[in-house]
Amino acid sequence: MNSRLVKTAIAVMGASMLLVFGLVAWFLFSAWWSSPPPILGFGDGPEQPIAFPHTVHVSDAGIDCQFCHRTVSTDEAATIPAVAQCLFCHDFNKIDGSLSESGTAQVELAKLIADLGETQEPINWARVYRLPDHVQFVHAPHIQQGISCSTCHGDIASMQVVKQVRNLKMRDCVDCHKANNAPTDCSTCHY
Amino acid sequence: MATQAKPSTHGAGDRDTPKWEMVVDLDRCTGCQACVIACQAENNIPINEESAFHEARVIQWIRIERYWEGEFPDVKARFLPLLCQQCDNAPCESVCPVYATYHNNEGLNVQVYNRCVGTRYCGNNCPYHARLFNYWEPTWPEDLRNQLNPDVTVRTRGVMEKCTFCIQRIRRATRGGEAVADGDLQPACAQACPTSALVFGNANDAGARVSKLKNDKRRFRVMEELGTDPSVTYLKQVDTDG
Repeated sequence: MNSRLVKTAIAVMGASMLLVFGLVAWFLFSAWWSSPPPILGFGDGPEQPIAFPHTVHVSDAGIDCQFCHRTVSTDEAATIPAVAQCLFCHDFNKIDGSLSESGTAQVELAKLIADLGETQEPINWARVYRLPDHVQFVHAPHIQQGISCSTCHGDIASMQVVKQVRNLKMRDCVDCHKANNAPTDCSTCHY
Repeated sequence: MATQAKPSTHGAGDRDTPKWEMVVDLDRCTGCQACVIACQAENNIPINEESAFHEARVIQWIRIERYWEGEFPDVKARFLPLLCQQCDNAPCESVCPVYATYHNNEGLNVQVYNRCVGTRYCGNNCPYHARLFNYWEPTWPEDLRNQLNPDVTVRTRGVMEKCTFCIQRIRRATRGGEAVADGDLQPACAQACPTSALVFGNANDAGARVSKLKNDKRRFRVMEELGTDPSVTYLKQVDTDG
């Protein structure tokens, strides 16, 4: 009777260990091979030095992506606009002027003015998307082939804080390249 | 040894795909090392300090082989710029256990750094000593960090590297899909060469300079007898003083 109890205990322990091990293995493999398990998602985007709302600029003001991310159709990087680009619309001499900024906007724009006037340093935006160093991703051909920004970056227009929406692992890239008849030669991206 | 350039076996029937080749005119080479420096700067190659030479751990994707001929005072210096020959029948490719080096459809011998596990078989099997191993993590002086080329991966310790024919420039030039005019696309070494000894181009384009020069009567290819079918053709130096 005693030995029976021991056997049961060992069986239960074994089964639970197997379960835990299996869960860990599943987590690691799914994180490595595809996307992280859906319950975790990609998390929220990083906190930015200035709370720049894409909602206001893209949805409400209807500004095209390429108006600010100017080199996306010609170069590797889409680029983050210089502070001076903000001046194109925001008149800092009279913030409460034509654009009728709200209270929060005033606070955020004040930071921008500080950057522009006092520190003279570019804004240190937090990076949202990062590919490994051995991947040479070039925006230009993707845009030229008519792939829309939202294919990889999601519905930016509805994001108060920009966050990553696609895992962009190699499989993700290759699947899309195959589907679109794009080259899958290793040296397309790795060199 | 063959005296006439074989038609390339590569890309037969697909003349639209470029076949990148180089011709090195040894009559023009003065051994000035401009190509070596240009390559170093373009391809994020770490600075070779003196100790690296003593330890035979130098990384140079192109180097000038120097040969002395004759006895003093009647001495001649011969120079031979040697880079990866981008062999069509490459000995390095067949020995890689992880398929980190392979031939692509443009006739390039490609090295995939993130696939390389550093067995060094390829380097040992290369008759040209064109492949170099990163024995250490590459470092640069602080003030040179910002001059790294963003188009080229910085190779980590433990991977093989070699001349790529400046594939980043090829990618940039052919990105739009239109054909590249002969001479518009040059690797860093050819661009820097003050005597234009290095000529680069698409050998599938019959009008390209490289296609004409590779059939010159002075032509030879380094260690052609090994059957590596190199994509780099050399033009022999001809002495006028007999």
